[in-house]
Amino acid sequence: MLASVNGNSSSSDWPGRYYHVDQVLDTPGPRTDPSFLAGDGVKDFLRNQCKILVIGAGGLGCEILANLALSGFKDIHVIDMDTIDISNLNRQFLFRPKDVGKPKAIVAAEFVMNRVPGVKVTPYYGKIQDKDEEYYMQFNLVICGLDSVEARRWINATLVNMVDPENPESLKPLIDGGTEGFKGQARVILPTITSCYECSLDMLNKQTAFPICTIANTPRLPEHCIEWASVLEWPRVFKDKKMDTDDPEHINWLYITALKRAKEFNIEGVTWSLTQGVVKNIIPAIASTNAIIAASCCNEAFKIATSSAAYLNNYFMLIGTEGVYSYTFEHEKRDDCPVCGGQTMDITISKDWTVDRLIEMLVERQDIQIKKPSLSTPTKQIYFQAPPQLEEATRPNLEKKVSELVPDGGEMTITATTLPFSLSLRVKYA
Amino acid sequence: MATESQDIETVTTNVATGQPDNKTRRYDRQLRLWAATGQNALESSRVLAIGATATATSVLKNLVLPGIGHFTVLDHRTVTPEDAGNNFFFEGQKSIGKRRADEAVRLLGELNDSVEGKADQANIEEVLSNNPEYLLQFNLVIAHNLDAVLLDKLAKFLWSDPSYPTLMVVRSAGFLAEFFIQFHEHTVIESHSEAMPSLRIDKPFPELYEHAMSLDLDNMDPMDHAHIPYVVILIRALEDWKKAHGGNPPKTYAEKQQFKKGIQAMKKKHDEENFDEAEAQAYRAWTETTVPSEISSLFQDPALSSLSPSSPPFFHLLSALHKFTLQPPHTLPLTSTLPDMRSDTKNYIHLQTLYKRRAEEEKKVFKSFISKDVQIDEELVDSFVKNAHAILVMRGKRWGEFDEDSAALANSLVISPRETATHLALSANSSQSLKSAAPPTAESLKAQVQSIVGSGVELPEEQLDAAVGEVARAPTSDLPNVAAFLGGMVAQEAIKMITKQYVPQKGYLVIDMIDMWTGPTGL
Ligand SMILES: [Zn+2]
Repeated sequence: MLASVNGNSSSSDWPGRYYHVDQVLDTPGPRTDPSFLAGDGVKDFLRNQCKILVIGAGGLGCEILANLALSGFKDIHVIDMDTIDISNLNRQFLFRPKDVGKPKAIVAAEFVMNRVPGVKVTPYYGKIQDKDEEYYMQFNLVICGLDSVEARRWINATLVNMVDPENPESLKPLIDGGTEGFKGQARVILPTITSCYECSLDMLNKQTAFPICTIANTPRLPEHCIEWASVLEWPRVFKDKKMDTDDPEHINWLYITALKRAKEFNIEGVTWSLTQGVVKNIIPAIASTNAIIAASCCNEAFKIATSSAAYLNNYFMLIGTEGVYSYTFEHEKRDDCPVCGGQTMDITISKDWTVDRLIEMLVERQDIQIKKPSLSTPTKQIYFQAPPQLEEATRPNLEKKVSELVPDGGEMTITATTLPFSLSLRVKYA
Repeated sequence: MATESQDIETVTTNVATGQPDNKTRRYDRQLRLWAATGQNALESSRVLAIGATATATSVLKNLVLPGIGHFTVLDHRTVTPEDAGNNFFFEGQKSIGKRRADEAVRLLGELNDSVEGKADQANIEEVLSNNPEYLLQFNLVIAHNLDAVLLDKLAKFLWSDPSYPTLMVVRSAGFLAEFFIQFHEHTVIESHSEAMPSLRIDKPFPELYEHAMSLDLDNMDPMDHAHIPYVVILIRALEDWKKAHGGNPPKTYAEKQQFKKGIQAMKKKHDEENFDEAEAQAYRAWTETTVPSEISSLFQDPALSSLSPSSPPFFHLLSALHKFTLQPPHTLPLTSTLPDMRSDTKNYIHLQTLYKRRAEEEKKVFKSFISKDVQIDEELVDSFVKNAHAILVMRGKRWGEFDEDSAALANSLVISPRETATHLALSANSSQSLKSAAPPTAESLKAQVQSIVGSGVELPEEQLDAAVGEVARAPTSDLPNVAAFLGGMVAQEAIKMITKQYVPQKGYLVIDMIDMWTGPTGL
């Protein structure tokens, strides 16, 4: 950290501005690490040098941006590919009805810059995958407030891959937050050092998937009727026309179609809201839980950037349905984590399993969850999802037994275009 | 030939659509948690915040967004440079010198047009002295880092009548914080408990029993056999078991294992998953359906012995529930919600219909026990019956009672040392600031803590040092992240109190954002 003349060098600062924050930056506490250099040096780093990236400008992102700005971070970047929807307004407090349809990152950045003088928020309206390592390398810290598992896996793997043991600057702490209704979690990931996002993939709630035969033949629940309408009826009626779950007309068609089927089978409970919830996989979200989790994330960012207090090691979990219950623990690194572990994962399967069956397992297993995997061994291509010619060439293998293609104890590499890493499996036959 | 989009149109215009209005769309993500009943309760609530601190405006933000009816900010001060630096609901230097209440209400009001906001320049000290009845126009009062003497006066006034508003006390210093909800009584019907009501497999009602026994399992089509719902399988298996065991259900571990084996033996093919499901749910067959102890203990509630027509509807319903359970089969009313299970449409819907019909009948019986002197909303009765297995009665405490009770403090210091030590450090901070203008030190705070708990009580040194040291470091600091965290927590509990859904926190909820833990004390 470089010392400067003083910590309040920016022209927009006024005397007393950081009265509250400075109390913890001017003095160490009883639990503060001795390496903490109270005073101007740390303030200068926080306010003039530290560059932080916020991924997501939604429920968590809005809160995160506001908290960081008030905490004294002045060079903030934000990425979000979404535009504002009316259903965001119950919690994404930087947006107003007039903003509906506009890019979240841009509106949020402008709002924070207007409200908190001297803070620079640089928005990027697009996907995190558009950016390369060089881009991510410029930040000191990354905070992630996303609702997508895929995107989190991507940024997690990217930051782990970026670590160069020769260059300490290449290690970017990743702070990740997530919420669902009254529940949420915040965690600190030090890529390659602590447990990463991929290490804890099996902690995710398993999504309820309805078997296709239930949907087609023996529906019991309103959800089954809705799935029938969206998964089977829509493609049958509209052929290649893509369903747009943001189009109210499409939802309405699904609702009416599901309702008809429900009547036919005497099933009650198909509503517009349920239809929308099932087809969009809506997760309940409220301002208060987002505020709690975003504040936890920003508090960690502040502690890491200033060393004013020890940061979280490494997982904070909150359940707010029955009183307030929280649990802080150290999530352990997984040796066979495909991103940070380095060890090959062992799987045991039946000798009779086809490649198709194995793929089904790779998609479903909680600690793997690789959608559309491509499989190969060191010597041959087993099945490739793309490009089309290769897919066609390898398609016949789907029906073959894995044991015909891979020897007992042999290794297999699994890749997917959405994930910037590969999984190596050692296959054993039961 | 119709195009695809016309197709959608023809279908959709012919049927009345259930498409939501703008308000429902705006609140969609929260309505999925507390539904229209919770939303209505929020929209008719009135909240007062005393002092426009960063924490207080954060709490209000999280109440304005989901749409409370009204909020007032009571604050006689003007925005200082310090305030302008840590509060998102002031506009930096532009707000300095302006009235805190005005600025906060203006900027909070922007969040939701349907919420009414009011700025009040009165001084809380004068309100408490001259016109405390002013407070009675609200349902909920939030006080963050309020001067200890005023807080004490406020808490005592609001405690003086059970019908007076709920008080939420919030205190913070640097990375440490706590909140406390002062209420006399809080009843919850929709606790959203994850506990499952009984399916009465051990005590099947006649129609269910007849249906289960009428099926010819042995000569059934294999497809049908694989679709028998586990409820039916378990009733049959239990019936057979009881015949062979003198009318008793499986009791010992060995018997239960044997019972499970019996279920597996009922399979015709090894891949009949409905039998696997029955095995997994076998506990439902040997667990006797009774009134859960948490519910039967409510029947001793003092509010039941003094029931009058003016008692809250909840207690009339509780009294009816008590009477219901005194009748055979001594259970709670049946719930109509049948969980999903492996089955086909016909079997499942038939079973569901049986449960629904029976639930309706039992609800009629339940209703006959409701006092004829009271009128209770039909929807409330439905909700009560549906949630009868998870209703709650909570009784709270007066703010300050804990700190006056040396024995309770001593006990809590042993059970939850870090929570209690942190709570006491915050108590010491607020009482010390009254005595002297000099900033507190770890030593002075420790002495103050000792004087609160009494000289005979031993203090947990490690936890207390950790807490007083942090308070002394930042005694008047309302850190932005801590304010935001409290803003979420306190608003969430306020929503639970207002909607009477989910379960609010009892006692003090203490927060340490250094080691990142939360925990209760003074329960
Ligand atoms: Zn990992």
